[in-house]
Order: sequence, then structure tokens, then C-alpha cells
Amino acid sequence: MLKLIGVEAFYGKIKALHGVSLEVPDGKLVCILGANGAGKTTILKSISGVVEPEMGTIHFDGVRIDRLDPEKIVSLGISHVPENRHVFPELTVHENLVMGGFLVREKSLLKVRLEEVFDRFAIMRERKDQLAGTLSGGEQQMLAISRALMLKPKLLLLDEPSLGLAPLLVQEIFATIKNLHQSGVTILLVEQNVNQALRIADYGYVLTSGKIFLSGTYEELRREEKVREMYLGEGKYVRRARLWGS
Amino acid sequence: MTDMLGGLAQEVVSGIALGCIYALIALGFTLIYKATEVVNFAQGELMMVGAYVNFFIVTALLDIPMLDGALGFLLAFAGAVAFAFLFGTFLDLIINRPLKDEPVFSVIMATISMAIILRAVMALIAGPMTRLPLSPFGSGVIKVGGLFISVHDLFIISSAIVLVCGFYYFFNRTKWGIAMKATSEDPMAASLVGIPVKKVYRNVWIFSMVVATIGGVLLAPRTLLDTNMGFLGLKAFPAAVLGGFGSVPGAIVGGVIMGVIETVSMGTLSFYFPWVKEINDIVVWIVLIAVLMIRPAGILGREEIERV
Repeated sequence: MLKLIGVEAFYGKIKALHGVSLEVPDGKLVCILGANGAGKTTILKSISGVVEPEMGTIHFDGVRIDRLDPEKIVSLGISHVPENRHVFPELTVHENLVMGGFLVREKSLLKVRLEEVFDRFAIMRERKDQLAGTLSGGEQQMLAISRALMLKPKLLLLDEPSLGLAPLLVQEIFATIKNLHQSGVTILLVEQNVNQALRIADYGYVLTSGKIFLSGTYEELRREEKVREMYLGEGKYVRRARLWGS
Repeated sequence: MTDMLGGLAQEVVSGIALGCIYALIALGFTLIYKATEVVNFAQGELMMVGAYVNFFIVTALLDIPMLDGALGFLLAFAGAVAFAFLFGTFLDLIINRPLKDEPVFSVIMATISMAIILRAVMALIAGPMTRLPLSPFGSGVIKVGGLFISVHDLFIISSAIVLVCGFYYFFNRTKWGIAMKATSEDPMAASLVGIPVKKVYRNVWIFSMVVATIGGVLLAPRTLLDTNMGFLGLKAFPAAVLGGFGSVPGAIVGGVIMGVIETVSMGTLSFYFPWVKEINDIVVWIVLIAVLMIRPAGILGREEIERV
């Protein structure tokens, strides 16, 4: 469904991606893991058109989408929920959702989509007329996801949805993502919460300084010593540290 | 005593009319600032250009017997607004687009240059003389209670009210209006939901040009038509600051307050201090500084809280 080949992108003057190739098959939940500044967000931004890649190609459903404007890309069926939620703080929850459905022409269809979102996230119906800026972090994340769902995307890009949320809310967000995936949405997820993310993902890519370093299923990645050390808090160095009693 | 109060009320009404024009120009400032973070110092000149275009069309229509009255004025008004649409698109093309990702300072310099160029070009086209365009309503005056209100002032106030209501409706009830607000809050998020951000910016410039034109057309019969009338636009700037820069209701409130203070201080103080030529300007700026000392964000402005 989505295919990146040799994508190189700059973030300002810094080269953030050094030839990234990855694939998201139809109906799968694919996860990109990596440390801060590894280039995860830049991958998502390149896909959604916020950042224009210098080299490489991105194909979605057979259509080449690098070089297209973000509003064109979203109309093809890719919705991007950016890092830090980026809801419209001075608009009400309802207005935020209507903006999510900006590309929906028919008013009746917009209403149907709104109802679907309200049925999925009851809290959104409750908060309908509240300004988005007054919501809690978890609610804002729900709103950001709901807003993206207004277009019924084929592919959902989620950037750090659990960032800065209380542990209980993190559970809830992951349950929501799993739920969405089961209802048939293809998802590309960027997360720092590696354990949780890998548990629900079909496939994972590990990114270090702008390059794909490893890839595989949860089981495959779990077996890699490096992944366990760096992200799962296990492995050689951790064991050695325990030996010294710290 | 009643005499003095009557005189004061008279000044207040006249001030509200002038304030409505300040409010329209301040609204133009605010729209562009909110959407693109650019302070458009050419706003007053845009008003001047709109007023001249209207005047040219009215003059051209004078020769046609049917169109020498209010009908001709309305036609010219429509013509000026149509011109504003084109000119707004042009401004977006030459100022906003090429300088989009440049520092705000460059864009501000570009608007200042634009102001100077427009003034010079208009002086070339229209010649150096000052003109007095006539109001389509003549110099009629109606009496309400004990007050005499010129028909043109009434026209200014009612147009401003209609326009502001129209704007309110547009920004709060229509999809494109809300999309404009969304874009000014978060351009990246707006483009990610499919709002055509470039088109929104273009519409903002067009809007602002149209509002300036309407302000100019309404103002010209009240003062004089002059290539330097754009300097009056600089008074809309403190009006916007007074109301709270970046707040649309603030621009309107600030504009009206400014107009009233100016007219009232002109009408009362100039009598006592005849040797101070521009006493009204002095009072306006004193009030501005006093308000900002008490409420730095302006009357309706909200203090920005930077999120970390």
C-alpha cells in the first residue's frame, strides 16, 4: 500500500533521513522505533508532504506522492496525526472535527462521520462545545485521532500518540489504536514506548540516525540483543549492571 | 449645561462614524496579522487606492445621465470592490508567496516599500491635487432627538455594522471561515486535514484589501481624497493595539474608541488650547499608553502564554 524507496530528507540544514526504504502492507500495523532525533517524525512528515524529500520516491496505492502538496496527499487517503496533537486550540471540539472533514463535500456524509466519531469516542460528544485548548492531554490526543478519522483514511500515520500522557491513558490510547487496526485501518505508528508498540504491531522498523537499522516482527526484534538493550531494558549490559548491584 | 452635553453627544456620534472607519482598517491589519503574522504597513495605502478607484469610476460614470446619482455610486462601489479582489490576489502573489518562509521582518519591509510605491504611483496617475468626492447622499442631515446626524455618517455606521455582522457570520458559521481561523492557529495541522493553506492566505489578503477599499470609499467624502490619506491608516494601528492586537472584536472596539476620543478631544480641547494644532492626536496617544500600562495586551487581547 505504502512504499518508501531511498528517501532522503533535510530538516532545515540537517540531513535527517539517509535513504530510508520501508513498506506498509494493506491492513497492517507497522511501527517505527528509534531514539529521539533518529528521524521518525521526518519519515511521517515526508509521507504526508509537510517535508519534501530531496531524493527517493514514495508510492501510495501505486501513485507517486512525494512532491505533492499535503492537502492533495490527505485527499488520497493518508491522514497524519502529528506529534504533540496539534488540535486547533481556539476552535471547539465540534469545529475541530468539522475541519477534520474539510474535504467531505456532502453535508449529510459529514454528519454521518461525526456520529461515527461520537460513537467511538463518547467523551468527544460530551465535550462537543468546549474549546479544544481546554481539554486534557489525553482528550486532545483522542480529538486529534478523531479529527483524522473524519476522512475515513486508508492509512493513518500516528506520531507519538502516547507522548506525555499518564500511564492509564497510555493504556487507553494503545487500546484505541489496536481497536482501529482491528476495524481495518492500516496504521503506521511512531513510538518511543517500544514495548507497548511492538506488542500491537505486525511489523517493526528500528531507525538509528536516519537509517533503517533493523526490521522484523515483534518476536524477531525481541530476539535481537541490540533491541533488547536499547529499547526493552534487557540484554548483556543490563545483566552486567545487575551483577554489580545497581 | 444641556447645551454642552448636546454638543458632546454630537461629537460622540461623529466620532463613532470616524471610529467605524478606523475599525475597518484595523480589521484589515488584524486579519493579515492573525493569519500570516505579518503587520501590513501598507493597509492605509490600500484604503487610499480603493478610494481612488471608486472616485475614478464615479467620475467616469458622471457623463452617463442615468448613472450620475446614488446608482452610479453603488456601481462604482461594486467596481472598486471587484478591483480590490484582483489587487488582493496580486498582493498575495508578489508579497506573501515569495516571502512566505523568510523572516517576518523582510515581509514587513516589503509592505512598507509597497506603501511608498502605491503613494507615488497614485500621485502619478491622479495628479497632485486634493479632491473632494461628494457623498452620494449629499450633505443631508437628519435630526434624531436633539442630535443632528449627517446621512453620510449614518451610512458609514450602518455599513460598518453590516460588514462586521457579515464577518462574524463568516468566521463562526461557514466552513471556509472556520478554516481560515484554523489556518491562522496552526498552518501545519490545517494542511494535514486538507485545508488549502495557500488559498486561505490569498483569501486573507483579498479580504483585507476589500475591507480597506470599503473603508476608503466611506472615508473619502468625509475628509478629502489625497494620496497621503493612507497616513490615516497609521492611526488604525494604535486602534488595533488598543483593542488587543490580533483580536478581531478588539480591532473593532479599539477603532470606535479611538474615533470617539479623537473627535471629542478635537471638539472640546482645541477650544481651550487653540495653539496646540493637533491636540486630538496627542490625546489619542496618551490614552493608548495609559491603557497599555494597565492592560498590556489591550482591552480585549489575551496575554499570550508560550507553551513549552
